[in-house]
Amino acid sequence: MFSFQTIVENLPTLLGAARYTLLISVLGCAQGLILGALLCAAALSKRTALRRAAGLYVSFFRGVPLLIQLLVAYYLLPVVGINVPPLAAAVLTVGLCAAAYLSEVLRGSINAIPKGQAEAALAIGMSPGDLWVRVLLPQALKIGLPAIVNELILLVKASSLVTVVGIVEITRMSQSIASSTYRYLEIYLAAAFLYLAINLVIAAAGRLLERRLTV
Amino acid sequence: MSLEPTATSPASAHLRAVNKFYGDFQALKDITLDIPPGKVTCLIGPSGSGKSTLLRCINFLEEYDSGEVRIDDRLIGYETPGGKRMSGRRLREMRCDIGMVFQQFNLWPHMTALQNVAEGLERVRGLKRAEATARAREALAKVGLADKEANHPSRLSGGQQQRVAIARAIAMQPRIMLFDEPTSALDPELVGEVLAVMKQLAAEGMTMVVVTHEMGFAAHVADRVVFMERGELVAAGAPREIFQHPTDQRLASFLQGYRERNSLDF
Repeated sequence: MFSFQTIVENLPTLLGAARYTLLISVLGCAQGLILGALLCAAALSKRTALRRAAGLYVSFFRGVPLLIQLLVAYYLLPVVGINVPPLAAAVLTVGLCAAAYLSEVLRGSINAIPKGQAEAALAIGMSPGDLWVRVLLPQALKIGLPAIVNELILLVKASSLVTVVGIVEITRMSQSIASSTYRYLEIYLAAAFLYLAINLVIAAAGRLLERRLTV
Repeated sequence: MSLEPTATSPASAHLRAVNKFYGDFQALKDITLDIPPGKVTCLIGPSGSGKSTLLRCINFLEEYDSGEVRIDDRLIGYETPGGKRMSGRRLREMRCDIGMVFQQFNLWPHMTALQNVAEGLERVRGLKRAEATARAREALAKVGLADKEANHPSRLSGGQQQRVAIARAIAMQPRIMLFDEPTSALDPELVGEVLAVMKQLAAEGMTMVVVTHEMGFAAHVADRVVFMERGELVAAGAPREIFQHPTDQRLASFLQGYRERNSLDF
């Protein structure tokens, strides 16, 4: 017999765990976007060393599973004398990984901007910083928005991996509730709908932003 | 539409033995040319003759490989002739004084007409927002687009977009203006409004270098016409000499071809 009662009783606990999912997703995404923009600038730089460094970074963080990255960060950082709480290590790792993907989305978007856009900025004497912040990134964000929203949704779902460093977010919490109540179906369904709700909000925000950016 | 002269004095430009290569292809061959202050110099010639490349060397959007390009007596792009690149800061400082108008307008699509014009004033000239906005409004009024300031470029016709682009350039109060085929991307009926603004600028004593296929404009507005072919400067002179008494064979056949295509006299 399907028990709504179980869901209702355990929802506050699940929502409490959802805070961690949200925290890791939001901070990871912010970090990913900022670092991703910098990486993208490096990847498009005239300086070979910068381009190579960005290339190596992307290859590593895109090529190694996030799960392994989390474990490496968790066990490696203390070894080299850096003691950070698991949550910080998780946010950092998720952000570093997201940056690799987002930088490639942004690079593609920047390459899609007509060259004349940058030339017009350079011709009036705009600095490289302003060129990026005022002219290139706003256009790149618009071009890349659908792909960026994809990445953010993947990020929310990937946040379940941080359980390996001991953080109890939605997935971990639902496992634990399920195994103590033996109500697997109900609890996992509740978890599924929580993820879905978060991602529907992200998708809606993306569509709203897309409409606002279209002129 | 009135374009008051700016307080700053018009600049001259001087090219000495300028060469530019794209791999093995030589786009500019030993170009020596003086652009006098306060005058209109038109660059004409067939496609691929190096006109735009030459123009873009003047603000160093195109890096020349050897020779000298000077604005007044200041070398642009390099510390010394053939020496190391000048710093980004000094190059930007020089570019502030060189306005440029592009064939494809290159307005920033995410900004309104007003923001397009105010952006450089705020970010590059360092004006306060209110002052930048006021000066941007003035510039838009000068090109006859005061009522379009809230429009994004996509809501403007090609001619209006190009006039906004001219406003963006003149708002910076440049001392020399470069026009790279400013009417080539326009529908024929929109060419006139852009040329009218350019004539106003010329009448007010702006130094202008104009790459153009508008022979009528070159014939009637230019003080000096320069004909280029295959990266070489073939002929230069007053419009009358160039158009009515071409001495060079290549120039004569270029003009002949143009006349046949347009069945026009000038």
